[in-house]
Amino acid sequence: MTQTPQPYRPPSDSEIPARYRRPRRQVSWIGAIIGLVLGIGGGLFFAWYVSPIPEFDNEPWQLTADAKADFVVAIMLRYSQDGDVGRAVQSLIDLRLSGDPIQTVADMACSLASTGYANNVSGVRAIRAMMSFYQPQGRTGCADSLIPADNVAATDVIEITVPTNTPTLAPPATKTPTPLRPAGGSPTPALVIVPTSAPQSDFIYVNATTFCDANASGMIEVYVYAVNGATGIPGQAIRVRWDGGESIFFTGLKPERGAAYADFQMEADRSYIVDMPGRADPLPQPLVAVPCTTPEGGRAVISYRVTFREA
Amino acid sequence: MVRFLLSLGVALLIGIGIGLYVGWVIAPVEYVDSPASALAQRYKDEYAVMIAAAYAQDRDLTGAIERLRVLGVENVPQYIQEVTERYITNSSSLDEIRTLVLLAEGMGRLTPVMEPYRQVTLPTQGS
Repeated sequence: MTQTPQPYRPPSDSEIPARYRRPRRQVSWIGAIIGLVLGIGGGLFFAWYVSPIPEFDNEPWQLTADAKADFVVAIMLRYSQDGDVGRAVQSLIDLRLSGDPIQTVADMACSLASTGYANNVSGVRAIRAMMSFYQPQGRTGCADSLIPADNVAATDVIEITVPTNTPTLAPPATKTPTPLRPAGGSPTPALVIVPTSAPQSDFIYVNATTFCDANASGMIEVYVYAVNGATGIPGQAIRVRWDGGESIFFTGLKPERGAAYADFQMEADRSYIVDMPGRADPLPQPLVAVPCTTPEGGRAVISYRVTFREA
Repeated sequence: MVRFLLSLGVALLIGIGIGLYVGWVIAPVEYVDSPASALAQRYKDEYAVMIAAAYAQDRDLTGAIERLRVLGVENVPQYIQEVTERYITNSSSLDEIRTLVLLAEGMGRLTPVMEPYRQVTLPTQGS
């Protein structure tokens, strides 16, 4: 008995299980989620631990304790110059100091005053600046007792006044007999000559400007004018003083530059005080012979142009 | 299985990209206990201005240089010259420019562009 082969007949929809009848998805969501989690984790690990961004563009709060102390000192020095409490406090807040920022300044001052930081004038000045900040705010620290609380800024020069009340021996008696005063005469009062300084107001200092010229490097050019501000006055003594010396020169000795003109050649890196001895007060600031760059790009020593005018 | 591996690989790449972006841009590592040399330029400049302000008051050039050394710059006068010229170029606060120019001058770094900002005090008559 033989079976005749049945022709193939595709199964009908009802014969196929439902799970095989759904359209096939292109994405395996389980694989995608696992891949995403692993990828993000790996990326973060790499970015944070293996190859973090280099350390730059930091903010002050990220500094080390020592660097923060330097920053606090700078803030206090600025405060001592501008007296702006609000600005100083804001800068301290930006540093994210722990606790009360003002008390922290007091503690830092205490710490600095206890170390070699206070061994030089600059350090003492910084600590005083800190004290001048926190003391008015009612804070205290050990720096108050370690650093003298005077308001006088420390200076490099200590002036010692030699006491003058040391008893001196009486002068020996003179061998020259003094003539007897005529009887009945009144004693002549001793003539005391009190030296007076010459008036300083014959001339006034008008201004000082600077210029940088390779052909006139390090010159102090002085002009002395009459009261009208235009007529030069020759023969006026100008004095320039520096550490260890002085020079006096006169206006009008270079007629080609005018009757008002006189000049002096400075040495580089020296400071000079200029005045008209007995006629005008010294300039309020010393003139410093610092290097400068000319408009052409060359190097020279800076020059000054100082003007005096008759009062 | 091929579909699973393909999805896993593509998602892995996307995840790595997201992780790197977050780790480098959105939430990068924040350093603490950093040296002053790692400060952002604006804070370095601010520090220099503060030291210049102190110098304007006490003229303590040595102290100013010592304090500026913590910024880790190799040439302090050169750095002050650069900061000063940058402040002038950016038209920053006039007071800050003047204090910087004063410090630059003290360090021998006065340049022509700084000249207009030099402070030459004029005394009043009779003073």
